Amino acid sequence: MSLVSGPGRGGITEGQLPSELRLYVDKHVTYIQSLDKRKDELEYWLTEHLRLSGLYWGLTALHLLGQPDALPRSEVLDFVISCLQDDGGFAAAPQHDSHMLYTVSGVQILAMLDALDEFDERVSGGREKVARFIANLQHPKTGTFAGDIWGETDTRFLYGALNALSLLGMTNLVDVDKAVEHVQACANSDGGYGTSPGAESHAGQVFTCVGALAIAGRLDLVDRDKLGGWLSERQLSNGGLNGRPEKLEDVCYSWWVVSSLAMIDRLHWISGSKLQEFILKCQDPDHGGISDRPGDMVDVFHTVFGIAGLSLTKYPGLVEVDPI
Amino acid sequence: MPKYAEDPAWSDVEPLPQNDGGPNPLAAIAYTEEYSEAMSYLRAVMASNDMSERVLDLTEDIINMNPAHYTVWLYRAKVLFNLNYDLRKEIDWLNDTALKHQKNYQIWQHRQTIINRLGSADGETAFIAKMFSKDPKNYHVWSYRQWLVRRFELWDEGEIEAVEGMIKEDVRNNSAWNHRWFLVFGRDSSAHKEQDVIERELEYAKKAIVLAPQNQSPWNYLRGVLRYAELPVSHVRDFALGFAPADSPDDVRSSYALDLLADVYEEQHQKEEAIKALDLLATKYDPIRARYWEYKKNLLEQPTAAA
Repeated sequence: MSLVSGPGRGGITEGQLPSELRLYVDKHVTYIQSLDKRKDELEYWLTEHLRLSGLYWGLTALHLLGQPDALPRSEVLDFVISCLQDDGGFAAAPQHDSHMLYTVSGVQILAMLDALDEFDERVSGGREKVARFIANLQHPKTGTFAGDIWGETDTRFLYGALNALSLLGMTNLVDVDKAVEHVQACANSDGGYGTSPGAESHAGQVFTCVGALAIAGRLDLVDRDKLGGWLSERQLSNGGLNGRPEKLEDVCYSWWVVSSLAMIDRLHWISGSKLQEFILKCQDPDHGGISDRPGDMVDVFHTVFGIAGLSLTKYPGLVEVDPI
Repeated sequence: MPKYAEDPAWSDVEPLPQNDGGPNPLAAIAYTEEYSEAMSYLRAVMASNDMSERVLDLTEDIINMNPAHYTVWLYRAKVLFNLNYDLRKEIDWLNDTALKHQKNYQIWQHRQTIINRLGSADGETAFIAKMFSKDPKNYHVWSYRQWLVRRFELWDEGEIEAVEGMIKEDVRNNSAWNHRWFLVFGRDSSAHKEQDVIERELEYAKKAIVLAPQNQSPWNYLRGVLRYAELPVSHVRDFALGFAPADSPDDVRSSYALDLLADVYEEQHQKEEAIKALDLLATKYDPIRARYWEYKKNLLEQPTAAA
């Protein structure tokens, strides 16, 4: 799935009354289907290093829109398997390097397509090989995870590792308690979490940390009221959410913030209808796709997170998404 | 226009084109061709584990076109170390590249690898300042700065002064506030627990609030310090009242002051007052979060909540 942006811009619905706003399901489906047919554009190739994640985002959006078969399953599987490297990790595209993020995307796609058994059939011992790749990236002393053999660590990788391992049913390969300890060390005094101990609270990192705790069964460690307070402060008067205090709103936080609120049972603390209005205003009603905010170019990343935000806030007609 | 194919320095390399199974559709734009050609040479050198100096030119070329391609960075670092290349020169080049590509984070990971190997933070603060002049909230740069402070023990090397300068420039810069917290409370020493440090930090936050009362960062900071020092919120009751006078609800200048006062009233068992403050927040000063304020009100109603 290509990460090319455009062709359209979100926000052409500007000037419509809130009651006239609606979700352009068919347009979004066609938009996602078209993404891989744009190989004559430079951006298609410049975003190759993200392709596998892009595919996951596109597929997730289609599932939420109730059209899981809109991309051919066998082609998707072939592509995912072609990204598998000898070390057991997935790369973003064939002949790239393995990386935690794409390994997670690979596993997520296999799970979404209910293809984990098939994967084991096609690649002997495939599941375990992948799980071992992930487990080897855990730092034994700190419990955190690196993204690749070079050792950059980030709570994103830790969440990804636990997520993929739990889909593979192999969290027993890693030290979950140590990982939980590390997440705790990333908690800040404002109630939020950052990329590493001491780093500024950021809604995306809150999602990864709370998600990791949820998978580990340790949500009891979260101060729900304090974190919920900080998360709900992310909503601005236009209904959109930002990722940090005093920053601009962005559709992608409709996922990071709202799913975090859902995991700690505080989803009702923000205005769901105002958020929906904001997301719907970011659509391109002609060519499909959703942008970060009205007036900007659409892309698949913001499309899936916009749709997921709508699903979480119970927008009618969408498949319900699991916040974790 | 092929660049590498006609360059004698590359004549011994057989480029490996992208294998995507179908006819190659790359033809539309000249720049695309350039990128595609460079990538096919990268694939070739990686396949033969070529660590010669020309690979630095090649990776530089690709990074200029597409700095987010993580494989290119990894291979470049490998080659640099293998060649024992002058890492100062690498940093000079990185400076220009980072300024050109503000949003990229692979650059910072690479920089960390290089500076770590160099073992010196000379010049780093000056460069960071340059980055911040473009975007004072750049998350990658702040994370890198924290790494630098820890790695080279820079806690008392002008960091507080730098961060004060940035808060002075923009009192709403939450990243700078976070860095201050990191410097004062994030280090492994007990100096920060001393009374005068707590007082100094409370005063610092208060001064910033006076400048812009409706600003989340210093209020969060103030609350953080109180919690850290295990002081009751009522410690700043009079200060907060200055921004949300209890007797004239129309003169509230800060919803954060009102929020804090609600906690003060709860702490001091003035339930009526607390409810009044929460109602004001729900109806007038922060209606988008009405459900949150209602929840807090409900907690007040439960007799166990105060325990």
